[in-house]
Amino acid sequence: MLSRSAKHLYWLARYIERTENISRMIDVNLELILDYPVDHSLNWKPLIDTLDANQYYEKKYKKYNEDNVLSFLFEGTNNSSSIKNCLDMAKYNIETVRDDLPKSASISLNHLHDHIFNLSFLKIHKRKRLPYITNIVDLTQEFFSSINDNLSRGYEFEFIRLGRFLERIDMISRIIDCLCITKSDKKTYDFSTMEWISLLSILSAQDAFRKVSKGEVDREEVINFLLQDDSFPRSITRCLSVLRLCLDSLPKNEKIILKIRTLRLRFDTASFENFDDNKLHIFLDKCQKDLIAIDKLVEKTYF
Amino acid sequence: MNDILRIGKYTNNYMKLKWSNYELAKSFDEYINSDNKVRGHIRKIGNFFESLSLTELQELNSSTESAIKSLGINFRVYSDTGSEERSWPLDFIPRLIKKKEWDQVSKGLIQRTKALNLFIEDCYNEQKFLKQSSMNEDLILKSKAYFSFCKNVKLPNSAWSHICGSDLIKDIKGDFYVLEDNLRIPSGVSYMLENRYVMKRVFPDLFSHYGVSRIDEYPLRLYETLVDSSFRNTKSPEIVLLTPGIYNSAYYEHSYLAQQMGIDLVEGRDLVVKNGYVYKKTIEGLSKVDVIYRRVDDAFLDPEVGDPKSVLGVKGLIKCWKNKTVSIVNAPGCGIADDKAVYRYVPDMIKFYLDEECILPNIKTYLMSKKKHRNYVFQNIRKMVIKPVAEAGGYGIVIGKTLNNETEEEIKRKVLGNTKNYVAQPLIDLSTTPTFSRNEISPRHLDLRPFILSGKKTYVTVGGLTRVALKKGSTVVNSSQGGGSKDTWIVEA
Repeated sequence: MLSRSAKHLYWLARYIERTENISRMIDVNLELILDYPVDHSLNWKPLIDTLDANQYYEKKYKKYNEDNVLSFLFEGTNNSSSIKNCLDMAKYNIETVRDDLPKSASISLNHLHDHIFNLSFLKIHKRKRLPYITNIVDLTQEFFSSINDNLSRGYEFEFIRLGRFLERIDMISRIIDCLCITKSDKKTYDFSTMEWISLLSILSAQDAFRKVSKGEVDREEVINFLLQDDSFPRSITRCLSVLRLCLDSLPKNEKIILKIRTLRLRFDTASFENFDDNKLHIFLDKCQKDLIAIDKLVEKTYF
Repeated sequence: MNDILRIGKYTNNYMKLKWSNYELAKSFDEYINSDNKVRGHIRKIGNFFESLSLTELQELNSSTESAIKSLGINFRVYSDTGSEERSWPLDFIPRLIKKKEWDQVSKGLIQRTKALNLFIEDCYNEQKFLKQSSMNEDLILKSKAYFSFCKNVKLPNSAWSHICGSDLIKDIKGDFYVLEDNLRIPSGVSYMLENRYVMKRVFPDLFSHYGVSRIDEYPLRLYETLVDSSFRNTKSPEIVLLTPGIYNSAYYEHSYLAQQMGIDLVEGRDLVVKNGYVYKKTIEGLSKVDVIYRRVDDAFLDPEVGDPKSVLGVKGLIKCWKNKTVSIVNAPGCGIADDKAVYRYVPDMIKFYLDEECILPNIKTYLMSKKKHRNYVFQNIRKMVIKPVAEAGGYGIVIGKTLNNETEEEIKRKVLGNTKNYVAQPLIDLSTTPTFSRNEISPRHLDLRPFILSGKKTYVTVGGLTRVALKKGSTVVNSSQGGGSKDTWIVEA
């Protein structure tokens, strides 16, 4: 397989997965506003923190209010992680590999692109914003399910999976870090059940979580579930298992597997119940650095 | 009443076409003879179209269009303001050619391509033809397409233009002539294959009755030709298709052919030269390449010898080719024979190299650099077509009958300014075939581009790509300038 094709597939998947995760964050925040309409502590800043884009944001906006943050996350041209930019990059990456993919996948990306580019987000009536966002998530899922159902298992499939799951771990760790731990001065020990549920719902994890834990939610359970559960598709440990599977089917995989194994070991051996917020933050920060190293190694090995 | 019967125009949706009302142009029509009767080999399909109402024809037209849309068959057109992707235009009324007639054309094309390939190799080696014929050798040796690095190179099977696309036209008597030979990187074959694919879906019933010869062998034969071109003696050399990228107007074709043959579609940046060999960059590391089917122009193939700023090519590629570690298809430098002035000498080449008479005639060509020729052309300019020798895509062509006094002077001045750059040919009345346009069936001019493959064996496509001028009276068939296409059927008469 050509290195360039592999690279395009990898980034195609990363950008679509990123689109999905940004949309999920917006979705949940919009919904929270409906629940706490007068709660001014509800802050839009953590969304920008999650993407580490404050520097770019503050060049254009002073206040972290709903309209500013949403238009930045949607249209921000100087924001490499805005939804529009992600979809532009996805479109660019699919161009030369289109023929390697099922037609339905390329059609759903077109739908997604049209969905976003036909209008400006702030012009959408507030009442319609939520379904609009939900639709983006549905379309990204449609793209990946078309890949899962129609693409033969081989290098093409593995590079898509590799990109998708690396991006997912990256986003999950950012979301937990910024939308939970460092979100406010409030210690996570003091979080209410509803606050935990909203974190879980960003990752579509509330239903799965409810199957293993009923009643009032406590911190330890949520953290363990999102970081260590080996059956939920959006827990970090599970994503690391998928990465391992991908690499087993790729050539020249020794070094990358080693890195993933080390990362996995750190998650497996950590006893999060003893981690206070600061320690958890440091742990996740280190995890992100490891992900960057893995990405660099993938680039060096295959592209 | 008279109005209705006058031409093949429909005045209500239930009305059916009568060929006796079809308004012939002044050219040879391939469906209808001068007595307005359907020609013998056309009868079955002619009757079929007479049985359809306008509504049914409109349905056929829209199902053709939607099939093309959903298959994503398109091409890119460039203009001053940018480029856009357009759906491929296919007219659903096929063009029919008798098998017997085609067999003869086929022989003529093989003969022609053989001679042209021998000519190219000769020009870069002994130069026997240049020394012995009346051709001015500057036409070759000073040509922009002549590369001194090709000197003394001999290629397997003497094949330089492995894939040749010759443009054929039918004149007023219905005889085929060669209009030009495209020896560099002719395109269009994927559209020929896709036209058939679409037509089979639109007219499944017709195909089963008609006995139309299959055309889908081409990708397989092309693959064999590429294998034959390899310098390395192996049954399965590593072959890639080199494309300039997605913005090239023929990218659709590049990706289609690569997919059909199961070879990698690469860009210049995917290839690298190392220790005298060409490699492609794969996820497993570098992998050696034996054959490059390139769809990149000579000038951009290798920044070491061509355009130094080219990013479409591969640095050091030409050196590898000269050392025979990689073959390039079509070979660099084969453009010397792709020139409207050289074209004139093809019958002489056939005599010289093969000692045969030319089977497929040329159109008489006047060289504007020769005074005698020029004087004749200037006196008869309204009956002529003036062509720049090295332009492609129908650009720069001046049709004599469209001139007025002012534009006539202008073109004469242009020619006199650079006589070597122009040739002239008598205006040929291109044949016509019924075409569906704006709710009527009326004649439109067309040409035909078959493709000829030269490897260990020679192969000619069964028929070729028929291009049709969609505007009434127009003879410009190029898709970039509003031309359309038809499926070409070779049928037992």
